[in-house]
Amino acid sequence: MTETILNGAELAILNSRFEGVVRKMANTLLRTGRSGVLNRAKDFSCCIVTKDADLLAAAESLPIHVLAGPDMMARTMADYHPDLKAGDAFFHNSPYHGCSHPADLTLLVPVVDTQGVHRFTVLAKAHQADIGNSEPTTYMGMARDLYHEGALIFPAVQVQRDYRNIDDIIRMCELRIRVPDQWRGDYLAMLGAARIGEREILAIGQEIGWEKLDAFTTQWFDYSEKRMIEAVKALPAGTVYGASTHDPFPGMPPEGVTITAKVTSMPDQGRVIVDLTNNPDCLPCGMNLSEACSRTAAMIGVFNSIDHSVPKNAGAFRRIEVKLRHGCIAGITPHPFSCSTATTNIADRVANSVQTAIADLGARAGMAEVGAVVAPSAGVISGIDERTGKPFVNQIFLAFSGGAASRSEDAWLTTAHVGNAGMCCIDGIELDELCHPIIVKKRGFVIDSEGAGQFKGAPSTVVEFGPLIGSFDLGYGSDGHINPPKGVAGGICGGAADQILQRQDGTTVALESCAMIKVSCGETVIATSAGGGGYGRPEDRDPAAVVHDVREGWISEKRAREIYNVVVCDGVLNSVATEQLRNA
Amino acid sequence: MRFASDTGGTFTDLVVEDDNKVITMYKASTVPSDPVAGVLAALELAAQDRKLSLADMLKRGDVFIHGTTHAINAIITGRTARTAFLVTEGHKDMLVFREGGRIEPFNHTVAYPKPYTPRSLTFEIPERIVYNGDVLTALDEVAVLETIEKLKALNVEAVAVCFLWSTINPQHELRVGALLAEHLPGIPISLSHDVNPTLREFRRASSAVIDASLKPLMGKYLGSLADRLSAAGFQGDVMVLTSAGGMMTADYVAEAPIRVINSGPSMAPVAGRYYAELDIPENRDVIVADTGGTTYDISLVRDRHIPMTRELWIGQPTRGHLVGYPSVDVKSVGAGGGSIARVDNGGLLHVGPMSAGAVPGPVCYGRGGVEPTVTDATVVLGYLDPDFFLGGSMPLDRPAAEAAIRTKVADPLGISVEDAAWTIVELATENMVQAIVDITVAQGIDPAKAVLIGGGGAAGLNSTFIARRLGTDTLIIPEMGATLSAAGAMMSDLTAEYATSVFTSTANFDKDKINNALFDLRAKCDAFARKVGSKVLKAEISVIAEARYESQVWDIDMPLPMARFRNGEDMKTFRETFDATHEKIFTVRDETSAIEIVGLRATVKCKMRNDDKLRLKSDQNQQAAAATRKVYFSDGGWTETAVHRLSNLPIDHTISGPAIIESPFTTIVVDRAATFRRTASGSIVIYP
Repeated sequence: MTETILNGAELAILNSRFEGVVRKMANTLLRTGRSGVLNRAKDFSCCIVTKDADLLAAAESLPIHVLAGPDMMARTMADYHPDLKAGDAFFHNSPYHGCSHPADLTLLVPVVDTQGVHRFTVLAKAHQADIGNSEPTTYMGMARDLYHEGALIFPAVQVQRDYRNIDDIIRMCELRIRVPDQWRGDYLAMLGAARIGEREILAIGQEIGWEKLDAFTTQWFDYSEKRMIEAVKALPAGTVYGASTHDPFPGMPPEGVTITAKVTSMPDQGRVIVDLTNNPDCLPCGMNLSEACSRTAAMIGVFNSIDHSVPKNAGAFRRIEVKLRHGCIAGITPHPFSCSTATTNIADRVANSVQTAIADLGARAGMAEVGAVVAPSAGVISGIDERTGKPFVNQIFLAFSGGAASRSEDAWLTTAHVGNAGMCCIDGIELDELCHPIIVKKRGFVIDSEGAGQFKGAPSTVVEFGPLIGSFDLGYGSDGHINPPKGVAGGICGGAADQILQRQDGTTVALESCAMIKVSCGETVIATSAGGGGYGRPEDRDPAAVVHDVREGWISEKRAREIYNVVVCDGVLNSVATEQLRNA
Repeated sequence: MRFASDTGGTFTDLVVEDDNKVITMYKASTVPSDPVAGVLAALELAAQDRKLSLADMLKRGDVFIHGTTHAINAIITGRTARTAFLVTEGHKDMLVFREGGRIEPFNHTVAYPKPYTPRSLTFEIPERIVYNGDVLTALDEVAVLETIEKLKALNVEAVAVCFLWSTINPQHELRVGALLAEHLPGIPISLSHDVNPTLREFRRASSAVIDASLKPLMGKYLGSLADRLSAAGFQGDVMVLTSAGGMMTADYVAEAPIRVINSGPSMAPVAGRYYAELDIPENRDVIVADTGGTTYDISLVRDRHIPMTRELWIGQPTRGHLVGYPSVDVKSVGAGGGSIARVDNGGLLHVGPMSAGAVPGPVCYGRGGVEPTVTDATVVLGYLDPDFFLGGSMPLDRPAAEAAIRTKVADPLGISVEDAAWTIVELATENMVQAIVDITVAQGIDPAKAVLIGGGGAAGLNSTFIARRLGTDTLIIPEMGATLSAAGAMMSDLTAEYATSVFTSTANFDKDKINNALFDLRAKCDAFARKVGSKVLKAEISVIAEARYESQVWDIDMPLPMARFRNGEDMKTFRETFDATHEKIFTVRDETSAIEIVGLRATVKCKMRNDDKLRLKSDQNQQAAAATRKVYFSDGGWTETAVHRLSNLPIDHTISGPAIIESPFTTIVVDRAATFRRTASGSIVIYP
């Protein structure tokens, strides 16, 4: 059989068709999902992998969800169920078999043609409001192990046959997941998305021919690899080390956990190697990374550092080698260690260590450190709403910043954390005050807290909120107080996270970094998020930009002078004094 | 005699309805520095056509309806007024936070958007109202007066105010408005609860600052339009098209310019619905696509209603400015005749989003463009006749188009110039199809079951291919498709919109609260219709409930089937209508969840024109077209293809492709697999 060769126009059209499929899946999931974590935080992803489980196309989503993992999950499905049939669907959320963490329940649907041949697999992954943990949270950092965590685990478990539910599985879920009606709604949304993807791909295959689609995927991966080689060639050669430290949380050593990445850039070979093997062993807490998150976080650090237009698929991934160690907190976590918070805390430290290491290669590469999460301003509040007598429990998204400066631009302010990249929505004050008995007294950015640099990292946000009547419980885990986001290439740290409780009498008390507290009427929590690191020396920042920052109240005249070496008086640049200061 | 004009980026369209109900269309070049000049030039063409002086023609005019991009252009180019923003203490960064979200998560080259009004012109006012309208902190009037002194010193030209919960209790905003009017006389003010009463303070604030910032310039612009029309001899009413698909008197618009941000594109679905109903007896959803030089605008008709959105962005989603005000849902993508084709260093073809625009334009325009565009591809394929573009008024340079496609696309891809031209059209078609799929999925419409309306002068070139890719069986190119928005303007109603933010749930339904709100809204609508007076042929009031299932975050628009809630039967109807609407849009219904109403919007439509059909004057003095010419199709190569003059086609006679249908305003391409007929309404209906 001779291989069909597609030209650049045919490749473009077929790629557009597949991207259309994943976008349609994602739109369907977004519009039909019931839980806030889907339609507000947009914590979901949709993608297509080939029959060989190579990632072909993914809808735009939070980066930690999708780079690596779909491949491993699809491989698990094929290993455990070698005889795939049209109408099958599988649940997968096992962090030991390719899923990111147990809350990210994934539905896999093999696309099987009329001849019974498995051609592609579509995946719809959605963070669940609950996954049956022993505590009512999906981020159980304090879990000693999987048994303490308590999540239901599905290592590619069949949930549909002949397009019909296997009711045993659904009934098990409904008995273990806390909000069964909402869960069922989200399941239907995932199923709808996956089946739409299946239907669309079958139609494309019918129209174009499966052999031609095989030729397309091969050549599309080659094209993407070629683009990746070009992008990697723009990096300087060398081996660099980056480190990023997580604040001590329960279950961690008192000094916290430092993640180290060794990055080797080989532009002549068009290749990057990220070595994460020299990191601590797994810990008896929920912070261990699944293999999917270790790989993805490493890749995020690389992709944040190069030309963003490279297609992110298996072709481009051939040029990134990620070295992992079995039994390592930032490696391959064995059962029954818990990976409950694998998509955030340590994963963020991995991505940050990679992109800051690449910045050390020099020549305008890499990116500064993105701030850590989760400040109480994005914590979970619960209690009884005295206005209605009804209980409530919800994650609020009042504020976060975290954005790091890149090599050519100031930070995207509302980045949240490196694995989210700003995809999350922020709540309206009125909407939150309507749905919960709370009052938000203040929400804003903190002056002089930006990560100073030629390009600025985000300043911290500060939110002051408390009960309007009654009281509520507030759970959060706020990293980044001891280890604020670092600048690179001469850039400076962004603001640190912090939280205090203000009592009715005006006195304040410092709060733990990771806690569940009760806040009573008259008291408020003042929550400060981490900012983001700066890129390049502050004294190289364009003086006009510094003047703008002063006029707009982002920084004080004092900071302009002391940090940026720019003299601003009453909002006007003193260029002579600035030049003297900068040349001194 | 009635005039309707739509000022686009490239052309100013004019539609004239003479007293004998015959319609004529004109196109003049838009003058970006003086949009009124483009309008007058188009009117001059109409006068010449009637062998009248401009003054003699205008004297006969009853109404002049104007679609304008003046407001949106002012925002894009930063020519709006210096606007201050007053906000509840503690919430200074409302316009910085926005609602979060981002596109292209790996693209770190795009700056975070600056707030619409700078922080240096944002002032916190001590006051606080809570969710039920109770005052937690009284308004500090001394602080307000101090702020006003600062505003004077800063020479602000407009002021917007947004306080939390002002939609539930507007007393603080109203008081600040009164103080501003007293101490800053002549400075326009926009209060958020008045501009856009909605329960999402960012959207309300965004609407208020945009509205305030446009007042000085829109007042001036519309004043100058009225003055210049009047100086030219026009004595009738000047109306402006709104984002909601109606029209308003110019003075009313100057008071609330937020209403005309999408003036123009919002009219395409009005016209699209009209043309679909003329030729398609059954009630089918309609996709209305308007092809321009740089953008492809898609709007919808779902179950005879035109879906609205509060998510109209000026610029890209999350990077531009969110208008927040209810507008006709128009999705605009950077795809059109001017979209540039290029091959990247990995050998992949791209078409758009970069555009050659009106200047320099496609290579074949001969105005200095060097990058091959979609229009160039259609010239090379023989779709456009270089000698009959815009009725022959603008000759096209085919050899130059061919040379550009050869060197920049065909050679890098290693294919023939015809194949290159075809793949450019095919990829542009695919981009347009994907844009249609995005908006139809979001609005719960199955494109395969819908009718496609092709509007815009270039629609006929690839709409057959678009329709086939969508799987729809019917494509309509309306007689006035080339000026679809101006045609919509001609049939539009005088409208006013009123909204209120009101919350209740079916779990504990506050019937009186909702009925009182409905009563107030209807009273406002009635008052408006009375004010317009005797010119109104008929006034219709419709109400939209903004509603959602309990615990949902986003609400949907549901046309309220009853005037008020009287009894359990009304509650049942409401429940059923909501479940059905939700199911239509999202494919699921949830009869066990309570339904929450978060807002009500009322529209009064005053009919100013009776339902006479719009019929285009037939162009008798056309030359007969060449009977055939060589046209390239993907499935047969160069094909000797019949060329029909649109006005000469027999009515209701089905003809098989391949064929080219030409008129002075448009060219329609029908390939071998499709058939078509001209209908009694003057439209060309294509069965792809």
